[in-house]
Amino acid sequence: MSANALEVRGATKTYGGFTALAGVDLTVAPGEVRALIGPNGAGKSTLIDVISGRGANISAEVRLFGTDISRASPAQRRLAGMSRSFQRTSIFPGLPVRQQLLLAAHRMGEGDVDELLGEFNLAAVADIAAGLISYGDQRRLDLALALVGRPRVLLLDEPAAGLSFEESKHLAEHLRHLAARWSVTVLLVEHDMDVVFAIADRITVLQLGRVLAEGDPAEIRANPDVIKAYLGSAA
Amino acid sequence: MEADRTGGGAVVTVPGLLLFAGFALVGPAAAFLVPSTLIQSLLTQATIYAIFALGVGILIRQNGMVSFGHAAFFGLPAYVIGAVLPLGLMPPELIIIGGLAATALMAFLVGLVIVRVHGIAFGMLTLAIGQAVYEAATRLRGLTGGHDGLSLDLPRFLFGLPLKTFQQPGSMLIVTWLVLALMLAVAFLFAKSRYGLLSEAIRDNEERVRFLGYRTLVPRALTFALSALVTAAGGVLFALYNAFVSPETVHWTASGSALIMAILGGASAPWGPVAGAFTYFFLKEAVGSFTTHWLSIIGVSLIVVTVVFPAGLVGLFDRLRPGNRSQGAANVG
Ligand SMILES: Nc1ncnc2c1ncn2[C@@H]1O[C@H](COP(=O)(O)OP(=O)(O)OP(=O)(O)O)[C@@H](O)[C@H]1O
Ligand SMILES: [Mg+2]
Repeated sequence: MSANALEVRGATKTYGGFTALAGVDLTVAPGEVRALIGPNGAGKSTLIDVISGRGANISAEVRLFGTDISRASPAQRRLAGMSRSFQRTSIFPGLPVRQQLLLAAHRMGEGDVDELLGEFNLAAVADIAAGLISYGDQRRLDLALALVGRPRVLLLDEPAAGLSFEESKHLAEHLRHLAARWSVTVLLVEHDMDVVFAIADRITVLQLGRVLAEGDPAEIRANPDVIKAYLGSAA
Repeated sequence: MEADRTGGGAVVTVPGLLLFAGFALVGPAAAFLVPSTLIQSLLTQATIYAIFALGVGILIRQNGMVSFGHAAFFGLPAYVIGAVLPLGLMPPELIIIGGLAATALMAFLVGLVIVRVHGIAFGMLTLAIGQAVYEAATRLRGLTGGHDGLSLDLPRFLFGLPLKTFQQPGSMLIVTWLVLALMLAVAFLFAKSRYGLLSEAIRDNEERVRFLGYRTLVPRALTFALSALVTAAGGVLFALYNAFVSPETVHWTASGSALIMAILGGASAPWGPVAGAFTYFFLKEAVGSFTTHWLSIIGVSLIVVTVVFPAGLVGLFDRLRPGNRSQGAANVG
């Protein structure tokens, strides 16, 4: 009965002849906040893409709470309870904030987005076209779109990308609480190691398209390979 | 106002209805007030082309896609009517409705294939389809009359009205205007519907729509079909008014004219292409009377519009309006 929230086997992606992701395995327990770290170009975004079914030349066996969704389209995965945000903000510039959240909510069988607007501090800009709101608001809108309908598994690709130090700290805390309250399992790509050590239950380290290490924050902090490959340069 | 779209509030408001009723009365009023048959005829043609351009504009506004081949959908129902009428298989009214339905269905099926392609490549595909229909119109002589065109042998009564209702400028101005009002209402309600919202979201960011759980191909093909259907309604009126259709009707230059009207007027509001069509006909008439180079005048004004008012007459109107709303306006680039 104890199905994992997310089980990924052999995640692979190639760009032409270049293998960006070489058979990554990953298992995330229900309710866990898992951080995915690694140097630039390690394949973190690529792994999120493969898990969410984005792009060509991808292959992986993906199970969501025991259900095989390996062949499901991104839309079907969303309906099955897997949602994601984007490293490069992906919103609808021509549509008012509330409208796009309502569109997302409608698909999930919900009719109201006031709670979400409140959670992400977007109520003040609810009726403004998303292309005209501030960058910080746009980042939070991207997240709010992913959280519509309270997905069971949430893949977040650098949610704080481009935000100030203060903003990103605050956002991370907020996401951590929201995930706990809504019982969302999270796989989070994040560069800021303070944030990672503060909010992750476990950490997976990627390097050159492979898993370099996996463990709880203390283990990762102490892992000599990780220190050499990543923490040494990042710290 | 836009906030109501999926919120369950009223899309149709009292001022909106009054505005619509007022608009619907303009055509009939003009038919009675304008004594000159010549001007009535001009207005009737402009109204027919306004419906054509409205269809082109729906595609731009809702799908963000530019068609260079919509004349195919304008001429197709006319050819269907012309080819099927002589067979005497069914009532003419049914043929007209069937012609519209067939055009919309064909656009949907074609749309399923071509809306996968974006930007200028999509435009080229529509151009190719338009030219294929043009070629067919010239080659299938038995069916279409080839270059000579096809005279429509229309019955003496249509939809309970004497045929001359559709062929005299004054009465036809009323008919075309009411159809235009109906089509504008359709475009407006579609834009305000959840489906319209979905199509705009797809226009803005198709990938994200998929990651919100929606399929995107069918909605885009349906928008394409709706756009073709509106244009086809204009084509039917054209066929009834002239009782004649020729390959010129489906030529790419006709598609180009309708596109110019849509851009001149601006596609970010449904009424833009309509205003563009009337401006186009007015310019053509005013300038055409003292020079044969009126097309170059149109060309120059188009350049001016795209440089100075990229959002067309709609953009100009929004800018002049007190308390202009720059927010919420869809930016169609
Ligand atoms: N469109 C592309 N074409 C070719 N190679 C690509 C493409 N996108 C990514 N790559 C390569 O794939 C590898 C993994 O990229 P990915 O974006 O997943 O890294 P990342 O870990 O998310 O990095 P970052 O921390 O910079 O976001 C990199 O070597 C990158 O250069
Ligand atoms: Mg990345």
